[in-house]
Amino acid sequence: MGQSEGGFDIANPIIQIRGLRKLYGPHVALDGVDLDIGTGGVGILGPNGSGKSTLFKCILGLIRITEGGGEVLGKDISTMGPDIRSKIGYMAEYDSLDPGLTAVDQVRYAGELLGMRPDQATQRAHEVLQYVGLQDQRYRKIESFSTGMRQATKLACAIVHDPQILFCDEPTNGLDASARQFMLDTLRRTISEGGGTVIMTSHVMEDIQGVCDRVVMLSAGKVVVEGRIDELARQITREIEISVWGGATKLEQWLLLHGHKVRRMGRIMRIEHQGDQTIRAILEGASETGAQVRVLREFEPDLEDIFLLIMRKLGKSAKSASDLKGVPGE
Amino acid sequence: MSDTIEEGGLGEADIEAAYGSGDGDLDTSATVASTPKGQIFEQIYRPWNGPLGPRWVRNYAIYRHHVYGIISGSGHRRYHPFVRLALLVVILGSMTPILMLLLSSMVSGDATGFLNRMWGVNRYNLWGNVLGYFPRNLCMWPLLTALVVGGLVSDDRKNGTSALYFSRPISRLDYASMKWLSAASVLATVIILTYMMYYSAAIVFKGEGWSFIADTIPIFIGGLVAGIFLVFTYTSIGIALSSISTSRFTASVSFLGLILGSKIVAWLVEIQFETTYIYLLSPYDCLAHLGQWLVGLPSNYDHPLIMSVVSLLAMNAASLSIFASRVSSLEVTRE
Repeated sequence: MGQSEGGFDIANPIIQIRGLRKLYGPHVALDGVDLDIGTGGVGILGPNGSGKSTLFKCILGLIRITEGGGEVLGKDISTMGPDIRSKIGYMAEYDSLDPGLTAVDQVRYAGELLGMRPDQATQRAHEVLQYVGLQDQRYRKIESFSTGMRQATKLACAIVHDPQILFCDEPTNGLDASARQFMLDTLRRTISEGGGTVIMTSHVMEDIQGVCDRVVMLSAGKVVVEGRIDELARQITREIEISVWGGATKLEQWLLLHGHKVRRMGRIMRIEHQGDQTIRAILEGASETGAQVRVLREFEPDLEDIFLLIMRKLGKSAKSASDLKGVPGE
Repeated sequence: MSDTIEEGGLGEADIEAAYGSGDGDLDTSATVASTPKGQIFEQIYRPWNGPLGPRWVRNYAIYRHHVYGIISGSGHRRYHPFVRLALLVVILGSMTPILMLLLSSMVSGDATGFLNRMWGVNRYNLWGNVLGYFPRNLCMWPLLTALVVGGLVSDDRKNGTSALYFSRPISRLDYASMKWLSAASVLATVIILTYMMYYSAAIVFKGEGWSFIADTIPIFIGGLVAGIFLVFTYTSIGIALSSISTSRFTASVSFLGLILGSKIVAWLVEIQFETTYIYLLSPYDCLAHLGQWLVGLPSNYDHPLIMSVVSLLAMNAASLSIFASRVSSLEVTRE
């Protein structure tokens, strides 16, 4: 075993990409991507058109790369696409199931397409359908399934051969709260018990944070950030978050007047943490302006904050990560 | 005894349980047996280290999935019961000459000669078993092709199941060739197998000898080759139409429209302008022209055979290139 970072084995990367460049005519889809991915959970983030899908296709060995190269599980992505695809599982974002088949037949067929014998594929289909919580629905036709059950079937198809790497494209798309939680728990369990790697994309940062230890952020075909989520969070400026009732504007002006950096979202204000005197200043300001501070806490940035901060630095305006879904490609 | 009851040995709880008397009767809710609460099922990730078969195993899985679906009601690609019924009618319809041969072998007298001329082995009947316009090429073969090929690729485009193939070690060549082969196999089973059964039945029912076989085998082979051309062409055109559509209905109706429409238009032009050149646009007529030459029948067409052959090759090339280009456009990450 190599050097392990919280379950993420970075010293023995299973995906190594060096100087990967992909052009579609004059359009640069990927521009000199360097990437090392070990075992564990990795989130791939980026607005639409940032190159996520192209990166997936390159890693799966589906498209010819323009420049650079890489290896997945020690196999060259330029020449050994079929070998790579037999060792990975891919869960597509959109429906990729035959509605006329039962869940067990669909998963069995997915196994047979990998080269599994029909009897092995059938046995394995039952096992993985139980794992994804569809044991009692496995003989039902997919056309009668809810979105959550369809997503679970797609996951079962992807893990039927116990892949070393599982690619999940928006795995929680269209799921209600309980189905979403179950899907995230299942993906987490797949990493912890299966011992493999889950590489997922999602526009819901909370989902990525729930499953992955690391993130790779793409923008305009380039990797702009790569690292552990908690380390990235530490790099963000610490702030004190307060909830103010009555006199919020006065308090904001008072704080600005006294040289504090303030970000305000209605009643919520975030003030840059500059040591103990910041809290003292807030309380003093509240006292002088008559504002009521109902909540005062140290703000812990989540992945969405990190993502938005980086995107803002890159010149993209968005209020939430889902806004970036509609941003056209560069 | 009363002491024991009061102390609870054979006490209040037992009597309460047995007769339901006492304070418990006043309860508004029934007491039910308690069950342990918690997980409904045990979620355990089970590893798998089995071997994965080579390329032919994967390709055979695609082939089997599409072909077995016609025979088996579940477990493979789903064909609507009406489609399966229609296929049964077509296959039984294509076997009717065998029944007539049986009949002619059982009756004697003047009727035998008539039945032999109508259904016995000769150039016209061998050609007609594959390329006769009515009912085979008007009703049966185009319908068979439309029903079998219609949803073959369009369903993958509609349901996004192309990702299921291409995210696995299936190349686009494997996908396209297996889809084509599975459709062609079904068509060949109905068209060519019944043709071979017809010829074999004629030999068996009539008790024909080697001289009959020697005389008729070249004609039979001519018809067989014509049948192979027919299966190839219809499959190629049908699968090309299926690949450019997301609806099996559109693909099927387009195929029927193309085969029957081009024939009817060419026929109307021939009546009006007394020229057969327009038949070069009709796949059926090009096949019929070639079939007549292969079996040794006089041609119904004024234009040279080579033109029909070139037209046929062009149709197949165009269909296969459309099919190839549409398969290469099938997406994995997003459709």
